[in-house]
Amino acid sequence: MKSLDPRVNRLPEIDIENSVSRKDPLDQLGTYEVFVQPKEGKPFQHEGALHASDREMAFVLAKESFTRRFQCISLFVVRTTNVFVSDTTEDSESVYDRIKGDVDKGGNQQSYEIFNLYKRGKQHVHIGSVSASSPELAMAAAKNKLPPSKTVYNIWTVKTSDIRFTQPDEMDLWNTLPDKKFRDASDYKGGDKLKEFLERSK
Amino acid sequence: MYGGGTTFEGIKAEKKDDPVKLAEFEARIERGEKIEPTDWMPALYRKQLIRMIEQHAHSEIIGALPEGTWITRAPGFKRKMALMAKVQDEVGHAQLLYSAAETLGKSREEMIDDLINGKSKYSNIFNYPTFTWADCCFISWLVDAGAIVNQLANAKGSYGPYCRALDRICAEESFHLKYGHHCVIYLAAGTEIQRQMFQDALNRWWPPMMHFFGPSDKISVHSDTLMKWKVKMGSNDDMRNQFLDMYVPKIRELGFVIPDPKLNKNEETGRWEYTEPDWEEFKRVINGDGPCNKERLAVRRTAEERGRWVREALRSPKTVYQMPLA
Repeated sequence: MKSLDPRVNRLPEIDIENSVSRKDPLDQLGTYEVFVQPKEGKPFQHEGALHASDREMAFVLAKESFTRRFQCISLFVVRTTNVFVSDTTEDSESVYDRIKGDVDKGGNQQSYEIFNLYKRGKQHVHIGSVSASSPELAMAAAKNKLPPSKTVYNIWTVKTSDIRFTQPDEMDLWNTLPDKKFRDASDYKGGDKLKEFLERSK
Repeated sequence: MYGGGTTFEGIKAEKKDDPVKLAEFEARIERGEKIEPTDWMPALYRKQLIRMIEQHAHSEIIGALPEGTWITRAPGFKRKMALMAKVQDEVGHAQLLYSAAETLGKSREEMIDDLINGKSKYSNIFNYPTFTWADCCFISWLVDAGAIVNQLANAKGSYGPYCRALDRICAEESFHLKYGHHCVIYLAAGTEIQRQMFQDALNRWWPPMMHFFGPSDKISVHSDTLMKWKVKMGSNDDMRNQFLDMYVPKIRELGFVIPDPKLNKNEETGRWEYTEPDWEEFKRVINGDGPCNKERLAVRRTAEERGRWVREALRSPKTVYQMPLA
């Protein structure tokens, strides 16, 4: 292969037309959901998903993919399979109206995090945590303990122990952002140079 | 970055959609609401969106190659840092877009297979080589500018996960655009050799830049349905016109000459007139016969194969795949 890049010239020849590559299932690993807290006092909200081999790797990749530039003070990740999703409702029907206020008959009580969707097209927002013996009962508990003031169209619950949180000694992960101004549009002001050039070329 | 030259094929409903569900779906879009992964959607909508978002993701990955090759040769520490950050952004954008496409039901493994086997397309402009630093600056400024025109339009589309990914992408692209403009201003205000270097790059890149927005409306596939469903947010010619409106004055301000003597804005119609781009060349390159098609795929495939052992080592038998949620 003849390329302008010497590194490419050193690559082995690959006959693309006559060799088909097929990936194994799960070659790209499993999926994780990422939640970000933009600033103190604001709730965590869902930012997107990524692929990773485990929670630690997902946490590192989440920092690079979702908090490389904008203000962020904390994030957490959870395996997609560990997110329990409610029905979705329409118009003025709140999904909490479909949740029966079942009595939690004890069992193994665990902590669950609750996320509400207030507007279609927007992201789920973290509203707090409850104690329950199953994800369904966690939604029922949320209905009583964290009654929403707005219509909720969809709920996610996640067992707190399934989440990889930002640890207290990791809180300074984002302190380096001010040193990386070269990643921001504001660091590329060409106005003076342009004005000088236009003056000169008059 | 991304070219609007997305090719839509087979735009006709394959099987009859449930008329009641279809009406609800269309009413939702009409009200300006987003479609989410769990909502009912026509098969054609799903298919065309997968195709479009996937092509966009591949374009981010392949688009990082012609610029990435200049990181080691960028003039000075500051330009190297900036270009590295930009290339990292582009690859990150691909990750966001692949996830958005996955919510429609195509796995990431299938998408990457289709790219490296030459089945899926990506933006045609990245099949051209970057001979000098000025070519790299052309991409950073003007190809990204073209991409932003497309992406800002698409961010108002109907599919929730794609729109959310685009909002995030557009915010980062503003850095690319300012950085690219900064680079070109410095070339323009530099020595005569530097000025000539950018003029040469402009001469090389103008035809593919005109191709970037896709075939002229006169010859492209009819896409009224996709417009109504807010998959496609503007015609190719509208996007091209908007780009010319915004950037021709900025290029001329720097004293460069756009290599098209017919390029002129018709003040009555508000539309730009130009030499019709060579659509035969566009077709030829998109079908594999461009200056760098083979190189781009070979580089991508080599990276994929060299990384295989790492992915195999990381894979756990307990992993279960689930589509991203939103």
